[in-house]
Amino acid sequence: MLQWPQLQPLFMRFSSFVRKLKRIAGRDAVLDRSEDLMMYEYDGGIQTASPQVVVFPQTTQQVSEIAKLSHEAQIPIVPRGAGTGLSGGALARKGGVVLGFARMNRVLEIDAENQRAVVQPGVVNLDLSQAAAPYGLYFAPDPSSQKSCTIGGNVANNSGGPHTLAYGVTVNHVTGIEAVLPDGRIVEFGGKAADACGYDLTGFFVGSEGTLGIATKITVKLMRLPESVATLLAIYNTIEDAANSVVAITAEGVTPAALELLDGWTLRTVEAATHAGYPMDSGAVLLIEVEGMREAVEDQAAAIRQVCLRQHARDVRRAADERERQLLWAGRKNAFGAIGRVSPSYYVQDGVIPRTRVPETLRHIADVAKKYSLTIGNIFHAGDGNLHPLILFDSRDAGETERTLAAGKEILAYCVSVGGSITGEHGVGMEKNEIMPLLFSVDDLEVMRRLHDAFNPGSMLNPEKIFPSTRSCREIAASAALTQAVLEGNGRGARP
Amino acid sequence: MSVLAVRASISEALAAIVGTAAIANDATLENYSIDGIIPAAMVAPGSVEQVAEVVRFANAEKLTLVPAGGFTQQDIGRTPERVDIVLSTTRLNGVEHYDAGDLTLGVAAGTTLAQLDPVLAANGQFLPVEVMLPERATLGGVLATAAHGPLKHGYGGVRDFCIGINFVTAEGRVAKGGGRVVKNVAGYDLMKLMIGSHGTLGVIVSANFKVFPRPGSKSATATFVLEFASLKEATEFLGKLRGSALGPVCCELVSPRAAEYLRTQASAPREVEEVEPGTFSMKSAEAGRAWRILVRATGSETVLDRCGRELGGREVRGVEESELWRHISSFEVAVTARHQNAMVMHVSLPPAAVQNAVVAAEKTGLDNNLFAPTIGRIAIGTLVIAFVPLSVDPPSAMQFANAASAFRATLPRDASAVVVRCPRQAKSHFDVWGSSPTDLAAMRAVKRALDPNNILNRGRFLV
Repeated sequence: MLQWPQLQPLFMRFSSFVRKLKRIAGRDAVLDRSEDLMMYEYDGGIQTASPQVVVFPQTTQQVSEIAKLSHEAQIPIVPRGAGTGLSGGALARKGGVVLGFARMNRVLEIDAENQRAVVQPGVVNLDLSQAAAPYGLYFAPDPSSQKSCTIGGNVANNSGGPHTLAYGVTVNHVTGIEAVLPDGRIVEFGGKAADACGYDLTGFFVGSEGTLGIATKITVKLMRLPESVATLLAIYNTIEDAANSVVAITAEGVTPAALELLDGWTLRTVEAATHAGYPMDSGAVLLIEVEGMREAVEDQAAAIRQVCLRQHARDVRRAADERERQLLWAGRKNAFGAIGRVSPSYYVQDGVIPRTRVPETLRHIADVAKKYSLTIGNIFHAGDGNLHPLILFDSRDAGETERTLAAGKEILAYCVSVGGSITGEHGVGMEKNEIMPLLFSVDDLEVMRRLHDAFNPGSMLNPEKIFPSTRSCREIAASAALTQAVLEGNGRGARP
Repeated sequence: MSVLAVRASISEALAAIVGTAAIANDATLENYSIDGIIPAAMVAPGSVEQVAEVVRFANAEKLTLVPAGGFTQQDIGRTPERVDIVLSTTRLNGVEHYDAGDLTLGVAAGTTLAQLDPVLAANGQFLPVEVMLPERATLGGVLATAAHGPLKHGYGGVRDFCIGINFVTAEGRVAKGGGRVVKNVAGYDLMKLMIGSHGTLGVIVSANFKVFPRPGSKSATATFVLEFASLKEATEFLGKLRGSALGPVCCELVSPRAAEYLRTQASAPREVEEVEPGTFSMKSAEAGRAWRILVRATGSETVLDRCGRELGGREVRGVEESELWRHISSFEVAVTARHQNAMVMHVSLPPAAVQNAVVAAEKTGLDNNLFAPTIGRIAIGTLVIAFVPLSVDPPSAMQFANAASAFRATLPRDASAVVVRCPRQAKSHFDVWGSSPTDLAAMRAVKRALDPNNILNRGRFLV
């Protein structure tokens, strides 16, 4: 261990660094006492990592100066919105500075004529829609955490939400970004126009999980609020029928605005907490929403009802008014909270599969639950095949935690084996970076690594995210081979 | 070494990779010239591995390489100093996987739109890309140029529905981004980077797409043709349409002069001044001077009834409707067929700036003896403006350069105005790309990261 004589220069260096941070952002905008830092050790996921200092810049210029300072001092810097992320993206994995955007939370402009808003990264998702509502407009991406998550975080993770089925994810709604690069340079990508001459760095930046630059101003598209909305609750005795309905609705050529599935265990847990009106004795429900022009909504609602009934839905109810609609959605959007009531911890997966594979994948998840003796609830964006299996566990039980992680990995490996992905909207972060080789080859990752280095050469901005830590090609290949072996082994019914 | 000897040695090396049949002979090389620059060799690899080998060879020898598909968009870009190898993707051809139930599709880059369409139509689906010359235009080319047509209004551009991409980097690595599912945030979004990169970051070899229910298959489709006495009235209507609940799939502006190029009957080329009003299958007296907005809607008859009631205008269906949109997509072809020296510009700007831009195009055009027929997806701020010579005297290169810079000067800072077609001699007088709101140094860093020797489309792109 280092003794004080060796530590002293480090300590001096760091305290001078903190002093400089205070000079840039203000004394009240810097936290460095350990009791204050604890708040920033975790996000919505299950991992933790502690920063040494948190700073809350108020302007782009301050962000730039902080970046420059950290760059010169070679101290890692990690941008953070509301900390609702589920993959550890906003955690200071190597310590250093967390850049909190709580004070850059202004909607700078609602440009109704161009259907654009210009916002600071700390603006809360739902606040933007509320600011746009007087103009009959709203921001379409609606993560379940939309009451607290920020637009900056949405940009970093290319966030989705239930309604992205019809309207696309965050990247489909961002036209311009002002960002601070790791060396402090302030750059702009795009603007209010839909396209910009040259490379689409706006599109490339969205979803880069804060590893290329720090977004300081974001221009987004706003959509017109729909004239009419129909919210349906299709009730099933078995989850298979619900899953088959998802396939049949897609095949029918109807694109609902949202198509969510809750399995029996999950809907009972949610119902007990929220009283949303989900029947306690059902095997699964689908929460389906269609919106748009009144006539089109009626056509689609009728078509969906028919499809669901054909797939043995016990009943298809329709929310009679906005209150009933909000109640049905409250069940879905507060689901994670409801599950917190019955389990000390839970681990949310974010696998994606082709929609036609929903039924067999749910069967596989049930097998995994049995195999590892775990309870796994299913609540997910069925319409685009984005699964969110919730694995319940007690983090104080080391054995159970280990089984949980193994079960999670096995589910994701299965998603990949049927042509899917390891993450649909939560991001890779530090949660899934080691399993990136499941999806990407050595060359794929090398191309991404070079692009990373073009923006963030020293990796001082949000280090050790997205990319697997096994840097040598041979190790990555070995890791892929190992995963393959695990998959094949599982196929033969090997034990964990 | 003489030019011929260089050619021979390059072709020989390439033949060793792909076989002699996949190499163009000297006599046909001219067909692959870029802005009149004849390449030293043309090679059409038959597999992704062969593409990688060809690119590795080019990179090792520091030869410049131009990826090419159907050669419908190769006019875009600055004139290169030299072209060593044209790499044609036409032999990378066919549907790789099509999961109709999932509405997803994977296609090789050299597949043409016309080839793909019937495959999707058989399942009542389609890819919402309506571009000119679909029997030649390839998917790879559509991605590389971010090509789009009127359907961009309702479905977005390829960036919105390309879900995975496979490409060969300048160093010959076979790499991919995305995947086969409609929602996926694993890894960097390389689709966005490759789309619209004009072959400067890699050779696209295949891509995966989301496909959509085909309008007119289970749902009906109709187009409402609305006429306005002035651009101002047309823009005011647009404001109303934006505030309404109708969600059309197309909303296309056609300027009075642009209508001349959308006639449904085939017509012999003639000078603009001679064209009488009343074409474009329009009967109204104002037709020749009318600004038109074409609104296309899909849905049940109930939906279309309401569109008809709220929009008014003349309702067009069936063959007439599909022909109308085919002509819109072929606007640039019609213009350049009639005026070989026309300049065509693709403009993207904030939607509210459209009216000023269209007026400015007409004015800066006229100041330089050019007409400016214009079409475009006005509600989303995407315009196609042609500048065609007004007099019988052949226009000078400077006229185009002056019109382009005068027009660009009127646009908002975050607008882009790219000249996609113009007389070759004009290119040396101005920058076809114009300015970009996006940071140039960051773009250059991306280019250096993926093509350190600058072999891909050297000298042709913005950076």
